[in-house]
Amino acid sequence: MGVTNISKIAEKSTKQKRKSKFVLFKNNIDLYLLLLPGVIFLLLFKYVPMFGVVIAFQDFNIFEGIKGSEWVGFLNFQKLISFDEFYQVLTNTLLISIYKVVFLFPMPIIVALMLNEVRGDLFKRGLQTIIYLPHFLSWIVITGLFVNILSPSGGLINNILGWFGVQPISFMTDNRFFRSVVVITAGWKEVGWNAIVYIAAIAGIEQELYEAAEIDGAGRFGKIKNITIPGIMSTIVMLFILRLGHILDAGTEQILAMYNSLVYSTGDVIGTYVYRMGLGKMDYSFSTAVGLFNSVVGLILVMSGNYFSRKTLEKSIW
Amino acid sequence: MRKVYGKGGHTIMTNKKSLGNIAIDMFVYMFLILIALSMLVPFLNVFSKSFSEEWAVVSGKVGIIPKGFQIQTMQFVVTSKQFLNAFGVSVYITLLGTLCNMLMTVTTAYVLSKRHLPGTKMVLLLFVFSMLFSGGLIPNYLLMKELKLINNLAVLVLPGLISVYNMLIVKNYFESLPSSIEESATLDGANNITILFKIILPLSMPVLATISLFYAVAHWNDYFAPMIYISKPALKTLQLYLRDVVLEADTATMGVATKSVDDMMNVSSEGVRAATIIASTVPILAAYPFLQKYFIKGILIGSVKG
Repeated sequence: MGVTNISKIAEKSTKQKRKSKFVLFKNNIDLYLLLLPGVIFLLLFKYVPMFGVVIAFQDFNIFEGIKGSEWVGFLNFQKLISFDEFYQVLTNTLLISIYKVVFLFPMPIIVALMLNEVRGDLFKRGLQTIIYLPHFLSWIVITGLFVNILSPSGGLINNILGWFGVQPISFMTDNRFFRSVVVITAGWKEVGWNAIVYIAAIAGIEQELYEAAEIDGAGRFGKIKNITIPGIMSTIVMLFILRLGHILDAGTEQILAMYNSLVYSTGDVIGTYVYRMGLGKMDYSFSTAVGLFNSVVGLILVMSGNYFSRKTLEKSIW
Repeated sequence: MRKVYGKGGHTIMTNKKSLGNIAIDMFVYMFLILIALSMLVPFLNVFSKSFSEEWAVVSGKVGIIPKGFQIQTMQFVVTSKQFLNAFGVSVYITLLGTLCNMLMTVTTAYVLSKRHLPGTKMVLLLFVFSMLFSGGLIPNYLLMKELKLINNLAVLVLPGLISVYNMLIVKNYFESLPSSIEESATLDGANNITILFKIILPLSMPVLATISLFYAVAHWNDYFAPMIYISKPALKTLQLYLRDVVLEADTATMGVATKSVDDMMNVSSEGVRAATIIASTVPILAAYPFLQKYFIKGILIGSVKG
C-alpha cells in the first residue's frame, strides 16, 4: 500500500497533534458515523467470536454459557495431542495439501505458458472462456458433476475403464482413490482461474526482449526459458510463499461437500473434523480447541510467509 | 548464440516453417484442447443425462450427447415446489445480500481511505487482522445462536456483510483517485457523504461492478453457512437443496426430490439429479460473460495491490 498524499498530510498534522486531531474529528463527524456500521459489524461478527475461543479452555456447557462453564485449562489440548484420531486428521490434511501444492501449483504456470504459445486469438479466447468457467461453480455442483461421471454404476469414467476390462471402481467411497479425487477436482475447478495471474504477468513482459532474443537466434524454448520464465519468476515465488502459508487448509468446503463416512480415514481434514466434532457430536470445547490450534498455526504460517515474501522479493500482501 | 534447428541445419527460420515448431504447436494445442475438454465433459455428460430418455440414463448409455430427447425430467425438476422455493430463497439472498454488502463495503472503504483521519489506521488494522485469525466454527455458531439467527435468513447476510478482501480492493481504488476531484467539490461546499455518492461512486463503477459480482457469486454458491444455520425446509437455499439431491446418489435413500419420480414415465432419479444440477447452474452460466469480464479485472486489481 503506497504512500499517498493523504499520509503526507497526516505526517504534517502530527506536529499539531491533539488539537488538530480533535478538529479533524469534529469536521468529519459524518464520516465517522458512516464508519460506525462497519465497526459494529467488525466487533460483533469478527472479534466477539475471537474471544469466544476461550471455551477451548473450558468444559463448555451450552445451558450454563461461558460464564457458568467450568474452566479446565489445557485439558482439551492434552486430549488433542493424545488422540490418535487427531494425528490421522493432521496427516490427511498435510497429505492432501502437499499433493495439491505439488500437482496443482505448477499447472496454472504450464497452462499460462502454453496459452502464450497459441497464435489464433479466437481459439485462445475460446480456451480461456472454457477453462475459467469451473471457478464459478459451487462445490455442491462440482460434487454432483463428479459423483455422476465417477459413479460405479454406469458413470462415464467407469464405462471407459470397462472397455479395458477394469471392474467398476467406486471412486467417491474408496479410500485408495478419495484423495486423488479431491486433488483432481480441486485442479479442475481452479487451474484455469489461477493461470490468470500468470497470463497477466506474461503480458506485462516487454516485447522488445523477445525481439532482441529473436535477433540473437533464440528459439521458442530459448525464449520461454530465458525471458518468459524469468519475467514471471517473482510472481511465481510470491504466490508459492503465500500458498505455503495456507498449507493447513486442505479445502474444507470442498471435502465437506464430497466426502462421506466411508472415506473418513483418508479424507477427514482439520476443517471437517472441527465440523464433525463440534456440530455433529456437540463436543463444543474440543472442537474449538482443534479450531484454535488450526487458527494459531495458520496465523504463524501466513505471517512468516509474508515476512519471507517481503525479505526476498520486497513484495508483500500488507 | 545462434542455434541449429531441424535436420537441414538451417540457422535462422521463421516460426511458421520449421518442423520442430509445428511439433511444438501440435503438442501445445493438443494439451490445451485436452484440458478444455476435461472441463467440458463432466458438464456435457450431466447435461445430456437431463435430456435423455429414461432407458438410456438408467442403463448408463449416455455420453456427451443426449440419447433420445425429452424434457419431462427438466420439467419435473423446475416445477417441483421445493426447487422453486429454494431457487427463490437463493435469488432473494443473492440480491438483498449483495446490496447490503455493497453499501457496507463502500462506506467503510471510503472512510478508511481517508488515512489522515484519527483512528482509521487502527480500524484498518483490526480489519486486516480479522482476515488472518478467526474464532473458528463453534464460537461463530454460538454467537449466531445467541443472536437468535439460527433458521433466520438474516444469518446468510449479516455475518458476511463485509468481505475484508473486497473492502481493501475498493479502498485501494478510492485512494488511487486523484484527490483534486474531492478538493474542488469540498470548495463547492459539498459534504463528505454527497462527495461519496455523487462524485466518487460514479467514478468507481468498474470496480464496484467487479466487487458486486464477487459478492453475488459468493452468495449464490455458498452452501456452508446455510448447511450450518438453516434446517427449516422452507428456508433452504438452492445449494442446500441441491446438496440433498446430490447426496442421495451416495446413500441411495429416497428423499425429497425423488419421491414421486417412480410414478412418472420417462423420468429417472439419476436424470432428476442431473437436471437439478443443470437448472441450478443456469443463472451462473447466464451471468458468465459478465463474470469473465469483470472478475479478471478484479483478480488483477487484487493481485497488484492485495
